[in-house]
Order: sequence, then structure tokens, then C-alpha cells
Amino acid sequence: MKKAICVILSALLSAGIFSSCSLSESGVLENSFGGGVFEKETIRILSGSENKELSDIIAECSKKTDVGIEMTYKGSVDIMNELKSGAADYDAVWPASSIWLSLGDDKHIIKHDMSISSSPVVFGIKKSLAESLGFTSGKVSVNDILGAINSGNLSFCMTSATQSNSGASAYIGFLYALTGKTSALTSADLDSPQLKEKVSSLFSGIDRSSGSSDWLKDMFLAGNYDAMVNYESLIIAANRELVSQGKEPLYAVYPYDGLTVADSPLAYLDHGDKDKETAFLAVQQYLLSNDAQEKIRQTGRRTGITRDYSQYGEIFNSEWGIDTEKILSPITMPSEETLMKAMNLYQTAFRKPSLNIYCLDFSGSMKGEGNRQLTEAMAQILLPENAEKNLLQASENEVNIVVTFDGDVRNIYTVEAVGNLPLLYEDIAAEEPGGGTDMYTAALEGIKYAAGSYYIDEYCPAVIIMSDGASKTDRRDDFMEEYKACGYDIPVFSIMFGDADDSQLNELAELTNARVFDGRSDLIGAFRSVKGYN
Amino acid sequence: MKAKLIGAVILIAVMLAAAGYYFYGKTTDVTVINGYLGGEKIGIMEDKQIADILAKKYHIAFEYSRAGSLDMVTADQSGRNYLFPSSRTALDFYKERQGEPVSDEIIFNTPLVLYSHKAVAEALMTDGTVTLSDGVYYADMQKLTEKIKSRVTWAEAGLPELYGNVTVDTTDPVRSNSGNMFAALLANVLCGGKTVDEASVKEIMPQLKDIFSDLGYMETSSSDLFNQFIRTGIGAKPIIAGYENQLLEYAAENPAQYAKLKDDIVIIYPTPTLWSTHIYIALDETGKQGAAALCDEKIQQLAWEKHGFRTSGCDISSEGGEGKVNGVAPQLNAVINMPDYKAMKIIMEELED
Repeated sequence: MKKAICVILSALLSAGIFSSCSLSESGVLENSFGGGVFEKETIRILSGSENKELSDIIAECSKKTDVGIEMTYKGSVDIMNELKSGAADYDAVWPASSIWLSLGDDKHIIKHDMSISSSPVVFGIKKSLAESLGFTSGKVSVNDILGAINSGNLSFCMTSATQSNSGASAYIGFLYALTGKTSALTSADLDSPQLKEKVSSLFSGIDRSSGSSDWLKDMFLAGNYDAMVNYESLIIAANRELVSQGKEPLYAVYPYDGLTVADSPLAYLDHGDKDKETAFLAVQQYLLSNDAQEKIRQTGRRTGITRDYSQYGEIFNSEWGIDTEKILSPITMPSEETLMKAMNLYQTAFRKPSLNIYCLDFSGSMKGEGNRQLTEAMAQILLPENAEKNLLQASENEVNIVVTFDGDVRNIYTVEAVGNLPLLYEDIAAEEPGGGTDMYTAALEGIKYAAGSYYIDEYCPAVIIMSDGASKTDRRDDFMEEYKACGYDIPVFSIMFGDADDSQLNELAELTNARVFDGRSDLIGAFRSVKGYN
Repeated sequence: MKAKLIGAVILIAVMLAAAGYYFYGKTTDVTVINGYLGGEKIGIMEDKQIADILAKKYHIAFEYSRAGSLDMVTADQSGRNYLFPSSRTALDFYKERQGEPVSDEIIFNTPLVLYSHKAVAEALMTDGTVTLSDGVYYADMQKLTEKIKSRVTWAEAGLPELYGNVTVDTTDPVRSNSGNMFAALLANVLCGGKTVDEASVKEIMPQLKDIFSDLGYMETSSSDLFNQFIRTGIGAKPIIAGYENQLLEYAAENPAQYAKLKDDIVIIYPTPTLWSTHIYIALDETGKQGAAALCDEKIQQLAWEKHGFRTSGCDISSEGGEGKVNGVAPQLNAVINMPDYKAMKIIMEELED
């Protein structure tokens, strides 16, 4: 419905006026850019979230080319998966790195792929901390960074390696550094038990994760963290905001033995529509024009073939560690087979284990459709055959806590062994909805229970409320107070079902630096998004 | 009122233009020929001058989907009229799977070359791996292969600012032709400079497998690899294997950009090297029309001048890519033959695992 309104609005406003709207729907943010009155064609681009930073330039592009542009944002790994299944809903893709195009183009639908800009994946570390760790002078290796993490001096945020390019690139970089390999990593290298120990130790330093790079930057800015792994361009964007808020900027560290560069390719998907192709080429040509390339460079991305950034000192600021003179010598990406094996290992063995606190609404208002959607959702994540298909498998040491609630807490279930998840599903499916709604009590009891039973720091914790959102508010203030007092950084995500009202859920998300997703339109997308965060 | 009038005038103008466009489109009656194309020839298919000759003189237009030369043989060919790979190996592969095609014809030639940066070429000149003669760089493949095989680091080769080992990045030899040819070249070199056959290839396979296993992820299209080489600078891809025509075409199409890169990017001719023969395979009678058209004298001339393909009638001294690009070898003397299909099949099967 929201999407329909968005499209109508953009159509109404398209008479020479640029219109934009963004909405949060199952974790996918969308922007529409309408062209002029003689708009010929609209192209739908599936894009990495880092390109949200280019919104103004894309809007200008739409105006100049008279082509409507609809942007849908996903992590690059998800873009690859969409490509593999034909990407029928899109006319173009714009992932962070061309490796995802080559890996995804099984159906040979890619045409006209051109790199729009590039940006290395770097560690952005609070400047004073980077200085005290000795990272602001000389060469820094991934092992130097690992040393700081192991000694408890550094923790960081990064995107999920199974969803986003920056996370996947950083992760592969870590694997090279930890194995000491300079030639391509092989499948056999991944079987080493020492490697598992070292990677797990590295990931224990993760504070927060996210499904996509731009969301990571937003989350970073809303919280209080030491460091994040992200594109140089997003470190620059974050620094501009930090400086304007009078806060300490991040210092960019380029680990020489684990470096990758994202080349941001924009490619046409040939579904046989000539008009779309012409429209696409106009858009691409505009983005590669001197004018647009200059504007893209102003956002902190590297463009064109020249390496002279001397007149961009305020953006590519050496005070922030940004170094455009340095020769970027990225690692060799492993073969597809090794890469996919590495991704599966990340999901099931290496990453910091998740501690999920699901709060499931069994109130009377969920009766019927709402309850059906909720049970279906739990089947997707708890039944292994579904989870594997969606790359949502539980990791080895993951903890799943389920709090079922109505006007009060009904039951608390805990499952540690992955093999018992189907039993948990059966318990949930057997509960019948009825009674009032109090999600605040459920969330609070869930957090207290988890904190009493586990060392929260050893996990990536998250509360995931699944509800239609209409809760009584008697204990709202208690929740707010006690959440702040407990001092844990536990995000409270929500997935909306039934006849949902998102205002209460949004308030919780804002307080806890989390997000609200719509489980009714794209359930798998919503789950992939939530799981990207832990 | 005035605004309304202007609006009406614009509307009528647009309608007239649309009608004109529609009828114009109807009068040019061209047969559309659809097929799979190796990425290095996209420039030819997108060339408006060539499209014009094809439409006016031959009443055809090419549509294409990009695919690696070997990938296209196994891809779904329904609705396709032609395949246009870059080697005889692809044709032999096709014949093995599907029998004789309706027709096949060599349309263009271009040698396999290495692309690198001046600093890399100079570092490799210190021990004679690369030499410079009459302004043209040549690589002693025996010496270069030895460096790759023994995992010499860039620092050891005199380039401490580069991380990792001395390698030549190629496309996937199992899926794309330039990588496939480079594998064939290495196989010949490892075999002491003789063209490998079914028997001798087996002896050198373990070494060849090690070399390719060290490369990790490989692009599936020569054009992608070349574009990345151009855009990413010395650190990312110090040396790649590609076709000579790629830089000649780039320089002809992007003279301003090439001017900026001219002092950095070098072509290095491997000694020995191999010819890439771009063979047009017609899958049906419609597809067959394409072969005749591509042999048109004017198209062949444009293919050299604008896209850098050495064609049967091309005059290397004529205006063309060569005139603007540094260090193009006027003729190639040290050329070795591609191994026959039986030997290539062993190489591909072994590298596939």
C-alpha cells in the first residue's frame, strides 16, 4: 500500500518536479525519482545500500535524462542471489563490487556493466584510539588489528559477510591475513582448526552487525562505538556528520595484507525491452559524465582513472587517515567454490553467535491471519530445510529464547542445540491466541532472563518482537527505564503482522538503535534484514 | 490561454515526431540476428557505423548476449542464430557436442598479449624477463612462468609497494577464451616451448593446476578483466592477459582517457604468443547471413581502425588504433600454435576440478 502511494505521488509530482519518498518495507528501503513531464521510461535498479549516499545525484540524473529511476536497496550478496533467480523485477543492478555480478549471472542477462566509482574497504577507528594503538603511522596489518581486539583494546561493527559486500570483503581479507597466504585461499585452507579459533576470536570483538553498509553507518552514528569496517567513502560520510556534531572523527586504517576495493558496477539486465535499454544507457552515460563523476567524487568516492585528489583535501582528508597516494594492492579473491564455503562457515561456525530473544504475540487481536503469518514466519527460521535455503541457518553456539505473550508473559522457551529447533517450532505452533497485549513486559522479561542466564558480551544479542503492535502501555515507562539502567546494547527489532500499528514498535526501535520490518509483504526479506543485524 | 496554446503545439509536435519515428522504423526492413558474443567484440556490435552498413547493405542487425567463448557452447541456444567465440577451441568444442554447424568462418584475428604498467615492466627488465626492442615490450615466457611457478613476491621482483606474488591475472580458462589461451600458452612453455599434445600435456598438468589455483577467483569475460585493469591501477592487477585489440579499441574510443594513461600502461608481447582467431559459427540459415556481412571490406577496415582487430586485409600502418597506441608490434614472429582440441580438452577438464 505504501509503495502504491509512493508511486502515485511520484507520478503526480513528476511534472518537472523531482519527487522522492522512502519507506521501510521488509528491510528494503526504496527511493523513487520521477523525471520530467515527457518521461519516457522508468528503470528499476536493485542496488547496494551504499548508493543511498548518491540520492541527490540520482535525482539529478533522473531530471537530466528524463528517465524515472526506482531504487531498491539490498546487500550485494542478496543481489547476487536475486540475479541467480533471474531478477525479473529489475532492469538494472548496482552492487558494490563486480564479483557479485560475475557470480550471479548464470542466465547471461548482464549487459553494459561499467564501474561508476571505487572505494576501498577500511577500518575506521576513533582517532584517539587509533593513535594510542599505534595505527596512525607506518603500515598496519590485519594481525596488528587482531592483536588490539584480543587484548580487549578494540571492538568494532561490520556488516554481515553473508549479506553485504563490505562485510564479505573484510571477512575474506581477515582469512588471508590469518592464514598468511599471498596466493589464493583454497578450500583446504578453510578446514584448519587454528583458523577457526583465530577467526572466532576476531569476531568476538564485534559490537554490532548490519545487513548493509549504509545502514551500518547510520547505526554507528546513532550509537557509541569504537570502530567500524566500511567503505572509505562511508567513513568520510560518517566523519562529516561526526565533525558537524562536534564529535571525534574516525581514522581510516588500510590493512596491507587484507585490503579489498569495491568498484561499484552499474549493469543492465537484458529482459528484451529495447526502450528500457536505451533509458538505462542514458542513465549510465549521465553517471559517467564529467559533471556527475565530479559530484560523486565530492561524496568521498574515487572516480575516473586519475589518482590526483590534491584539490579534494577537505573530503579525502589526510587528518582522517584518508590516503589517496597509497598504492592499493588488494588481496586475490578466492575461487567461487572457496568463497561460498567461506560464507557458509561464517554463517554456521565463525561469526559471533546470535542470542535471539523472540517475543511472540499470542493476544486475541492476532487470531486468524496474524497468527497464521507468525507461525509461518517461525517455520521459516526454525525448520532447518527452510533456514538453509534462505542462508538463515543457526550457528553452532547460537541461543534461541522464545517468549510467548498476551496480556502477560505466557511461556519462556530456550533452545541451545540447533537440532532442537524443530521441537521449539512445534511448541509455538501449538499455542492458541487469546487475551490482551503487553509487549513491554514480554521484552523486558526476555532481556532479564537472557542476562541472568548468559554472558551477553559473548553474543550478538537481539530482541525480535513479532506482533501487530497494539500493546497496552502500563509498563511502557518501566521498560524504558529498566532498559537504560541495565546498560546492555540490545536492539529491539520488530516484525509486523496482522493489522499492524507500527508507532509503538518504531518508538522501541528508535530507543534501542534498531528497526521495524514488515513481515506481511516480504517475510524472508524481513528475516534476512533482522538477522543481518545479529 | 497562451500557455494552453503552447501546450497544444508541443503536443502536436510530439505526436508528429512519434508518427514519423514509427513509420521510419517500418520502412527499414532488417532481419535481426541473435546470438552469443565474446565480450571483447561488443565494441564492434555497438559501433553505429558498422550497424549502418549491416542494415543498409545487408539488411541485418545483430543482437547479442555476452558469454564466455566456452560458456556459449554449453549455454541454452534456443532462439539464437549464431555464436561468435574467439577461438578454434570453442568451435571444436561445439562440434564435439553438437556436430557440424551450419557454417563457420574466421572473421578477425588478434594476438594474445599482456597488459601491465611501466613500473612493473621496468622492474621485470632488470633480469631480462621483459625486454624492450624498437619501443615494443616483449616477455620471455620461460622466465616469467618460472617466477609465477616459484611464487616470487612482488617485493622480491623489485616492487615492494605491491602486496602478494608475481602473477598474471586471466579470465577463467574453463569458461572464457583469453584465459583458456593463456593456459595453453603456459602449457606450451612448461613443455619446453613446444606445442603440447594429448600425451605431453599430462606431464605438465600438475604445475599448470598449481598456477591457476593460486589465481583464485577469475573473471568470466575478457572485457570485464580489461576494464578493471584500466580502472584500478597498478596495485590491483599488476599484469593481465588480454587481446591486443582491447587497448587499441579503448584508445580509439576514449582518446582523452587514453592520453592520461598512455605513459603508464604498456603492452607486453609474450614470446612466444598465440593468435586468437574469432570464428563466427552460424547455427541456422538466418545466422549464416551474418558471416557474409562481417566479411565486408569496409567492416573489416573499421574493425581494424576502430576496434584493433587484425583482419585479412588490414594495413597495420594505416590510420587506426595502432597509430595512437605506444608499443604495438608491427608484426609477430614468435608465434606458437594452439594445442589441438584433444590436448585442450584435457587442460579444461583438469582445471575444472
